Amino acid sequence: MEVNGQLALTVLMGVFLIAVAAWLARVEDWRSYTPLAGGGTVGGTAEQYVSEEKPSGVIRWLTTVDHKDIGMLYGAYALVAFAVGGLMVVLMRIELADPSMTLISNTFYNSLLTSHGITMLFLFGTPIIAAFSNYFIPLLIGADDMAFPRINAIAFWLLPPAALLIWAGFFPIPDVIPAQTAWTMYTPLSAGVGSGNQMNAGVDLMLLGLHLSGVSATMGAINFIATIFTERNEKVSWANLDIFSWTILTQSGLILFAFPLLGSAIVMLLLDRNFGTMFFSVDGGAILWQHLFWFFGHPEVYILVLPPMGIVSLVLPRFAGRRLFGFKFVVYSTLAIGVLSFGVWAHHMFATGIDPRLRASFMAVSLAIAIPSAVKTFNWITTMWNGKIRLTTPMLFCIGFVSNFIIGGVTGVFLASIPVDLVLHDTYYVVGHFHYIVMGAIAFAGFAGLYYWFPIYTGRMYQVTLGKWHFWLSMVGTNLTFFAMILLGYGGMPRRYATYLPQFATLHQVATVGALILLVGQIIFVWNFVQSWLEGREVQDGDPWDLADDDLVTAEWTWFERKLETAVTDGGEDETELATDGGQTVDDTDADAESADDA
Amino acid sequence: MDEAPGLSDQYRTASPWPVFIALGIPISELGLLFGLFPLAVGGLLLFGGSVVGILKESGYVASTIRAVTALAVIFFAFGAGLAFTDIALVTRGYAVIAAAILLVVGGVVFELFVREQRQTF
Ligand code: HEM
Ligand SMILES: [Cu+2]
Repeated sequence: MEVNGQLALTVLMGVFLIAVAAWLARVEDWRSYTPLAGGGTVGGTAEQYVSEEKPSGVIRWLTTVDHKDIGMLYGAYALVAFAVGGLMVVLMRIELADPSMTLISNTFYNSLLTSHGITMLFLFGTPIIAAFSNYFIPLLIGADDMAFPRINAIAFWLLPPAALLIWAGFFPIPDVIPAQTAWTMYTPLSAGVGSGNQMNAGVDLMLLGLHLSGVSATMGAINFIATIFTERNEKVSWANLDIFSWTILTQSGLILFAFPLLGSAIVMLLLDRNFGTMFFSVDGGAILWQHLFWFFGHPEVYILVLPPMGIVSLVLPRFAGRRLFGFKFVVYSTLAIGVLSFGVWAHHMFATGIDPRLRASFMAVSLAIAIPSAVKTFNWITTMWNGKIRLTTPMLFCIGFVSNFIIGGVTGVFLASIPVDLVLHDTYYVVGHFHYIVMGAIAFAGFAGLYYWFPIYTGRMYQVTLGKWHFWLSMVGTNLTFFAMILLGYGGMPRRYATYLPQFATLHQVATVGALILLVGQIIFVWNFVQSWLEGREVQDGDPWDLADDDLVTAEWTWFERKLETAVTDGGEDETELATDGGQTVDDTDADAESADDA
Repeated sequence: MDEAPGLSDQYRTASPWPVFIALGIPISELGLLFGLFPLAVGGLLLFGGSVVGILKESGYVASTIRAVTALAVIFFAFGAGLAFTDIALVTRGYAVIAAAILLVVGGVVFELFVREQRQTF
């Protein structure tokens, strides 16, 4: 039996490797590239010729190292993960519509809870940011591509296996069950200690997947740092580097210090689980895990929020008709947040009984970090003040971002105060706090970016009315769901439970209704996104938002304009796209009508 | 970008290796963690072979065989560390060593036969 299994695996692995080799042999024959490092000293000289075109079909996407293609891959991946994580939580919210266990079992609820958190943070949040940064940073700073295009591709391709591993517990694999550790993976539960079922291989698979996503993020971060430092066009100096690049640079720095630590902690946990080490089972081991985890975990929340802040800082002024107010201070506050975010982690551990003097210092820094956050908020508001505001869909999402970020941030400041936290810790108040930021702000900024740049990456315009429906349903849904959670927290409802006391029923039902409204909004988004991509009005104008009127054009739109002009000679795109781009008559009235609609 | 928009479209467009590097890592990790010998060996081969492939493609190394050998030495040291020290993860250590040996064999085969053939057309 055992031997048979090994034999089968060996045969399978062998066949797979041979298939890979055979495929590579074919690919190598048609494959074409210019060696990056410019050596030209490679042995098989016959293979070197400059390519004029990307390969076609699926193979193009599997082998691309173009930053724009990789950005698209990240985006597609992130949106799929958003759908998966979103459907998971819809199931959970429906279960929570009544106090007892009805639709799904408590253990399944715990599994969904764990996967929802990890999926949204690591498989949606980080990748959707990487989608924008990959596509637009090289354009914004005038680089030909990323500094290491192949590393860029490796970083992306680590993510699909990571997702499969993280979700492996849900697949029908014998003896494997999903992890139920919550995204914080606190020991001793996650070490598999005790009579529970968390010794299961499903937890190991999830940890491996998480580790892999961390490797991916770290590779990406190194790449962005190198790109922004070394690949800038001569005209782009530090003084006029755009705000989005600043936030990505800061974020990459945070990733560089935070993710390797998570990786090491996960390896230690895996060793504890499988090879009998005792990092987290000796005295103080549980606290050790919390320190390691939150030393990563708090910077992680800023890793997730800084680039969205950058998107908002970039997009919001374009529709306010003026430059970002206090640009320098927005940059300084970004850097300040980057530094301070490593000094606050123990505010997640106020209730663990750590030394009160330590606690006080973490409280002080946590309150201090609210200052640069507030600086940004005031700058956004001041930018809009007396501005010429155009309520386009991306602008609505930016304003929604600011509004939700204020609620999320202010609730955070209260949590940073030890006496308040001791009351509210581990209640729905915390869940409300961070969802105002992760859903209300980060996802909103993601949508702002998706709509704002839609013409660039699709060549078409989305449907304006559907975009507005998407915004308003998301805004109402978010506030209904998460404000109800804040109130639930005041009432003492503990987080992470599938069942609850009847007195909490009403607010839970409000939250569920909010989640369903969110669901409807996102279905509209998917419809709009897909249909407009396929059939939307083609954009003929390189400046669909009329940024030139206020002298607010940025580099990526200039690039887009030239791309439209040179579409016929541009050898890189698909043939079909070329034919339609070149073959259509220019229809300016159409495009104008569109932007007028949106104004 | 300023001078030639769309330049990146015509420029180092594709590489077959990243996907396989990205597959090799989790496969070998799974093999080593759960002690699945074939997965560990196969994953490491996939990873090692693709790393050499990408290094050569981008011109960072001149000779396939030397790159393969260097990587094999690293694998071997790691495998020996697992198998013959106090860590005593013997099967896993042998898996890594086996991958190291197969990698060298594969490199030699490629050098002797495959590359020759390629150069004839
Ligand atoms: C204005 C600055 C902020 C402050 C002072 C702050 C403060 C806090 C505090 C004290 C907690 C711990 C609550 C507890 O468990 O008892 C917390 C939890 C959390 N915060 Fe914030 N926060 C801030 C901004 C953010 C941002 C920008 C994000 C996300 C991008 C975020 C995401 C989270 C998350 C995910 C948790 C929950 C972690 C968990 O236990 O699962 N916070 N915050
Ligand atoms: Cu925190």
